[in-house]
Amino acid sequence: MSRFEIYSPEGLRVDGRRWNELRSFNCSINTHPNAADGSSYLEQGNNKIITLVAGPQEPSSRSQVNTKQATLSVTINLTKFAKMERSKSSHKNERRTLEWQASLVRTFEKNLMLHLYPRTSIDVQVHALQLDGGILGAMLNGITLALIDAGIAMYDFVSGVSVGLYDTTPLLDLNSLEENAMSSVTIGTIGKSEKLSLLMVEDKVPLDRLESVMAIGIAGTHRIRDLMDKELRKHGKTRVENSSN
Amino acid sequence: MEQNSVLSLHQIKRCLTVDLCCNIFTSFTTLISSHLIALLFNLENFQLTNTKSNKGTARKSAHRTPSAVPDIVISLLGTMSDVISVINRNEFWSNGRLEQDEYESDSSSGSEQEHDIEMSGAHDSNGGIDHQDGSIVTPGELITDDPIWMKGHGTYFLENKTYSSVVGTVSRVNRLLSVLPLKSRYIPETGDHIVGRITDVGNRRWKVDIGAKQYAVLMLGSVNLPGGVLRRKSETDELQMRNFLKEGDLLNAEVQSLFQDGSASLHTRSLKYGKLRNGTFVQVPSSLIVRSKNHTHNLPGNVTIILGVNGFVWIRKSSKMDLSGKTTTTGSGQSDHLPGSNNAMSVSITRLEEESSWEIYSDKNDTVTVSVRQTITRYANVIKALAHCELGITEPRIISAYEASMAYGNLGQLIESETMESLGQDVINSEKMRGAA
Repeated sequence: MSRFEIYSPEGLRVDGRRWNELRSFNCSINTHPNAADGSSYLEQGNNKIITLVAGPQEPSSRSQVNTKQATLSVTINLTKFAKMERSKSSHKNERRTLEWQASLVRTFEKNLMLHLYPRTSIDVQVHALQLDGGILGAMLNGITLALIDAGIAMYDFVSGVSVGLYDTTPLLDLNSLEENAMSSVTIGTIGKSEKLSLLMVEDKVPLDRLESVMAIGIAGTHRIRDLMDKELRKHGKTRVENSSN
Repeated sequence: MEQNSVLSLHQIKRCLTVDLCCNIFTSFTTLISSHLIALLFNLENFQLTNTKSNKGTARKSAHRTPSAVPDIVISLLGTMSDVISVINRNEFWSNGRLEQDEYESDSSSGSEQEHDIEMSGAHDSNGGIDHQDGSIVTPGELITDDPIWMKGHGTYFLENKTYSSVVGTVSRVNRLLSVLPLKSRYIPETGDHIVGRITDVGNRRWKVDIGAKQYAVLMLGSVNLPGGVLRRKSETDELQMRNFLKEGDLLNAEVQSLFQDGSASLHTRSLKYGKLRNGTFVQVPSSLIVRSKNHTHNLPGNVTIILGVNGFVWIRKSSKMDLSGKTTTTGSGQSDHLPGSNNAMSVSITRLEEESSWEIYSDKNDTVTVSVRQTITRYANVIKALAHCELGITEPRIISAYEASMAYGNLGQLIESETMESLGQDVINSEKMRGAA
């Protein structure tokens, strides 16, 4: 047994949370008004993510031109200093990163109204400054905020969170210690509905436990959606006040 | 290692339909397209039983060495229905992308409806229905369930309900309901005075970056060429287009018309339009610039500013033309330049002939004195400060912020964020004072 007790008999986790508690969640939008059309900064626990959205804009090459809808691309930059130990490689062409990029593109292609922006491209860049588990869920949230900030039309929020299964207990929003110790899934939900836009299952999860895992995950994403919504309204309110006076 | 997950396609379909919009990831989708290609995951064993097509068991043993990467066991239960509302829809997967009507037909389940009301109810005291004009909405929020409203920009329509698709304020014009986004790329409209940058010289046209979704087009036929308005464009003009405007040149122009897809066609057939010189370029968010009758302003300090509606701003030394054109503004340094301005309109035709020389396409700057350069820089930094505070940029505000900025001797200091915020506060305060007085 390691020094850390992943889930104590009293029901406390490594960082003192209970099974159904999220990590601290902070976000802000329009953080890079000059560098991008839409931008967000997001802290989900110790994950720190900057997201930049450029577009809709003229495609950089002819091959990207689609006369029906906009071309969406996502680039993930996991910085070398993001983990506990400095990594030698930039994670640019790692299989895992490419996989994430593909899944994010596919998630947002369905959620954005890309048909409104024919012959353009929308480029999303995600920069992870610090990583601490559940990064894909955090990236979903960050990209949603940045796309909203860019004023790109979408059907609803996409919010994501990871859920693990420790023995028989589902644990919400894992940090990296927990993530290494148990199997986990990442869930992306559309708005306040129970529709999933993303379900990433990279580990084994017992069939009969998946139901409770997904239930707590969906509840978690709804909470995150509310937190993002609150921040957006706050930001919107100050903007409206500024423009009116 | 024979840790087998048996994926019943039927079950998956039931659970997946849950998500409608959805891309459940990788192997799922590939599975459903019944190609059964385990693409992306590091699989060791991946056993699938495709019950639907009765093709039996397809097995892909992965090309990876057995490692720490665990098997993927994707297993979904039919019993999940009490957690997630399950709707059986067969067409969905055959029709790869989500169309709006698919979205519509889905939300027929009762639970969806409850959710929307509950969701918006959490934020709005009036139950989320019938938002007041000007209230802030976020994507996916129910604006109204009254079907009499026509859906405009920034909204979508499902099941006789209108939802917002952007963050913005609700606007109602007659029966048209739309959401004006708080921030978006510039959307050109006919008649807009804009500043743009040439990106491409093509066949009888220039491509101009105007900060919109697509580049605008400036046709050779819609510019003034040296030799007067009535001059015809010949093939030699076509061959020497780069001598007039080349890549990287800035120009101010007017939106002449819009194409079907929303991109713009420009013209510069007036003396106030054309190539820009003797100044500096600043970009601000286009939402901060308010459309008005006049976008060229002569400011104190012998400086002229062009506030392009697209958020591109050009600040330059005032030319004789700027100062003779109109008797504008509170300018202090320009009163001595004004003689002869009262008959400016009557001579404009002849002046047009004079000015339409190669001069207007010159790349050479006039001499700009150090003090004027500093004034231009100060204005540029003042505009950056206003943009930083997200204040709408208007002529009175620029002047007011410029005067407030005089407290800072060092021009570089103006773009420190604290200074910018205090400048913004000064502007707001002085406006309040004026309003109260």
